[in-house]
Amino acid sequence: MNWVPKDVDTYINQKDYIDTIVVPLLSIDTRPETMKNSASSSEFLMNLSMFIEKQFKGRMMFMPPVSYTQSTDLQQLADTLSEDLKKSSFAHTFYLTTDAKWTSVTVEGKVVWLPSIPLETMDDHLRQTIMEDQLRQVLTHFMEKWNVQ
Amino acid sequence: MSNKVSRRTFLSYTLMGTGGFMASAMLMPMIRFAIDPVLANTGGSDMIPTPQKAADLTETPIRVDYTIKDRQDAWYTSDESNTAWVYKEGDKVIALSPVCKHLGCTVNWEGDVYKNEFFCPCHAGRYKKNGDNIPGSPPLGPLDEYEVEVIDGFVYLGGTIPNTLV
Repeated sequence: MNWVPKDVDTYINQKDYIDTIVVPLLSIDTRPETMKNSASSSEFLMNLSMFIEKQFKGRMMFMPPVSYTQSTDLQQLADTLSEDLKKSSFAHTFYLTTDAKWTSVTVEGKVVWLPSIPLETMDDHLRQTIMEDQLRQVLTHFMEKWNVQ
Repeated sequence: MSNKVSRRTFLSYTLMGTGGFMASAMLMPMIRFAIDPVLANTGGSDMIPTPQKAADLTETPIRVDYTIKDRQDAWYTSDESNTAWVYKEGDKVIALSPVCKHLGCTVNWEGDVYKNEFFCPCHAGRYKKNGDNIPGSPPLGPLDEYEVEVIDGFVYLGGTIPNTLV
């Protein structure tokens, strides 16, 4: 599900089935020398989010990406997010990010960190293959949590 | 004398000619608009090529990824990638939509312990090979089918239609 009124309507009717929220965490680096890298990883993260959304439409709600610039205090951001997401009625929370700094932040829910892969030079077929590989990687994290209960 | 055209007849012919021309100029578009729904293109002609050769298909469904070029979305154009599960039943090529009829996840062939079935990883939905939903699992209807055509040995897919195999 995407964060659009139509999908939210479906969510409201099917709360038992759609029990997972995914928050893409998008790091934006404004310094000219790292801008390109930042853009590349943002493209990767957004593509991957869309790809996962397509596969798991019926169980996951994808939030619009939470974006932050390089000097944001991540622990503070994590605390705010954890606090606010408690008010939603999702049983599982996942954060999807390519920013390694999140691995040392404590947050409610699970942070799934993936190294960014530059997609800009790839053709469609290779992109598809890469996305499938990545999906398999994150899938294990999702399954782990889903199977607990 | 009979061949002579009198001024009166000449004028009435001219009048009828111009009048008829003007009337048809008004009526033709009206008629065209009236029958337009009948002449409208049906979706069936919109077949999209896939890289899958029909000769390579077997009775086991395989995943075929293909791209719809220049899909016009609300405010940008982009190529949309799409997937189908394709297999052969006798000589007939069958393509099923991978979209689960429960809440729209993507189903996989033998994605779990169940053999010879489609499996939806979201809520353990199960479908038989022909797309029929297995009672007791969440989906409420069979998987949709794609319109299929084989052109020059390659599989072409059209729009989705309700499952005709179940």
